Amino acid sequence: MTHRNLKNDELAILKENGCLAENWDHVLVSEGFQPDRVRNVYFSGRNTLGVFDSTIDLEEGESVRCGIYNSTLHGTVIEDNAFIASVQFLSRYKVEEGAVIRNVGTIAVSGETAFGNGTEISVLNEAGGREVMMYDRLTAQVAAIMATTRHDDQVIKNLQEMIRKYAEGKRADRGVIGRRAEVRDSGVLRNIHVGPYARVSNARHLEEVSLVSSRQAPVKVGAGVIARNVIIQSGSSVDTGALLKNCFVGQGVQIGKQFSAEECAFFANSEGFHGEAVSLFAGPYTVSHHKSSLLIAGMCSFINVGSGTNQSNHMYKLGPLHQGILERGVKTGSFSYMGWPSHIGAYTAVIGKHPNSFDASDFPFSYINEMGGRSVVTPAMNLFTVGTRRDSEKWAARDRRTGDVKHDLIHFGLFNPYIINRVLSAMALMERLREGVSKEQVIVHHKGIHIKRLLLKTCARYYEMAVKIYMGQELIRRLEAASLPAKAKKLIPVLQYDPGKKHDEWLDVSGLLVPAKVYRKLLGNIASGVYWKPQDLEKALGDIHKDYDEYAWAHCAALIEERYGVPVDEWDAELIGKVLADGRDQNIKFNNMIYHDAKKEFDPTAQIGYGVFGEPEEDFRAVRGGLDENKFVAGLMKENEEIAAKVEKLLGAIS
Amino acid sequence: MQNDVQQRVKKVIARVLEISEDQIADDANFIFDLGADSMQSMELVAAFEEEFDIEMDEEKALDVQTVSHAVEFISSYLK
Repeated sequence: MTHRNLKNDELAILKENGCLAENWDHVLVSEGFQPDRVRNVYFSGRNTLGVFDSTIDLEEGESVRCGIYNSTLHGTVIEDNAFIASVQFLSRYKVEEGAVIRNVGTIAVSGETAFGNGTEISVLNEAGGREVMMYDRLTAQVAAIMATTRHDDQVIKNLQEMIRKYAEGKRADRGVIGRRAEVRDSGVLRNIHVGPYARVSNARHLEEVSLVSSRQAPVKVGAGVIARNVIIQSGSSVDTGALLKNCFVGQGVQIGKQFSAEECAFFANSEGFHGEAVSLFAGPYTVSHHKSSLLIAGMCSFINVGSGTNQSNHMYKLGPLHQGILERGVKTGSFSYMGWPSHIGAYTAVIGKHPNSFDASDFPFSYINEMGGRSVVTPAMNLFTVGTRRDSEKWAARDRRTGDVKHDLIHFGLFNPYIINRVLSAMALMERLREGVSKEQVIVHHKGIHIKRLLLKTCARYYEMAVKIYMGQELIRRLEAASLPAKAKKLIPVLQYDPGKKHDEWLDVSGLLVPAKVYRKLLGNIASGVYWKPQDLEKALGDIHKDYDEYAWAHCAALIEERYGVPVDEWDAELIGKVLADGRDQNIKFNNMIYHDAKKEFDPTAQIGYGVFGEPEEDFRAVRGGLDENKFVAGLMKENEEIAAKVEKLLGAIS
Repeated sequence: MQNDVQQRVKKVIARVLEISEDQIADDANFIFDLGADSMQSMELVAAFEEEFDIEMDEEKALDVQTVSHAVEFISSYLK
């Protein structure tokens, strides 16, 4: 768009309206400029003004005339129909069409800045060594590669170079307040990029910050926030007194209620309220809501953090050696404590204080209790709890990422190749541990944990249920995509798998489930310099994510072959029927066991009455309802019916 | 046989819950009277299985609330 100097009549109006300029020749305007919309404004440096001929509806519901009022502008470009009022100092910014800035102290760019891009954050180890270089497209998977592939210099070097180059592209001596963004009632905002439709309201101090906002998924920064070196991706909110330093905030994240974090990366749909995080790699769905919880130097995802959760390192001698791993689905109980370094297995509940380091990763779905200072594992105990079931259902339903692009690649399924491999190896390990001890031995030891010998046999059976459910569910999924009814022989092509897609070893890369071999190949490509820009790497990861169903089916079909002793080419109606029936029976049994767990909440001992006159059970029923009316319980029972009906239908359709 | 089963059941309960056999009434409820938590309940199942060399149905075992019911349930596997 071309701009011109002010005409004499326009200049006269501006002066009459109380405007001043260091040099009026440096104030350029668009054709159609309306000088009556600019009042009490001081211009310094070169400023370019658009057309102000419209109104803007403010959040309060009032409609105001676009224009610039009671403000100081230095080196700005103000696009059409922006509204700028009572801004003490707006320097080196392009304010895009329809943006609102009002009642703000300083918004300025000083020198050159990349708005937080290229900043290294010391996740996992606060003394450094696993730095993640952040940029505004960062994904959980790219960050995980950076944090956990330190043994491969070339991978790290190439990634850093790629991101550095990308960050350099963001470097500028002028910032942007994006289209239709609103910045209001705030203190000092220095070197910040405000994307389209972002809302900054009542923030206290933001410095070196990028708000990667969009119309579909605006970013919100609210009251009292202090942030320095922070990137906030689309659909996220940082609010109510949050303190962030050197942090990455992914998509759909909510942080607030005085939560403080340093050197942390929070990925999709994480939530941080009240508590504290330091050097945390918060994978997707990291949730900490309580005031006294500290998450430090850990790597987690799908975690639910209980109040008073804490971790530290008692072996601190030559510097901090934290680095704890909490695999997906961990729940930490109130006032649980873990001595780092430790490794907690997937979907495990940690209860009590565990001062010594331990590795319980071989036992997913466990309870880890503290008994007499020892960490005691009850394997498979957490398979049948309401908590595990509810969590696994709610995560997918609570995806707050509303934008077109979802950066983090996430697989949600409870039973998947990664978890089932963990389950299978736990079963094999329990068998080995059992063989090695006499019946007189009460406790067996394994990697710093204690297991009651008695449980080794019984708990392996619970794991077995998970394996059968997995095989049944995956087979149902596969058959539902086939054209039915059909003879089993005709289904073989649907059931066959590409042997090249069958992999024994799987990984959970911060939410993305991937065969280890495929992941190694990706790392090799990074090391060879195949990817020149982040978008190339994102595409490669996206392709892996898309291929998951085929990889998972190959894993499952091979497992069925092994377990039932029949190669896929020879599966007949009887074999298919058996896998389906086994899966159905175990699934229904599994749900019924969860039902038993739910029932505990409706037990008479849980029915404490708060009513003044009513009987406790009347009071309880009035507030909580009855067991079978409970939505979760009803859902379980409905699922049982559905599984039975689905399997019945499939059995009838395959001959 | 029922008496023998009952004695052995009580012995197992005493060992797992670390209480005296005298404290275990025939109709005692595992949770309310004997204070078993969910992990101890799982351990009891494992201990009964080892003591009687049986494999109990995981789901049905959860319905067992009292000592007498446990005796009856285990006996059904021994017939």
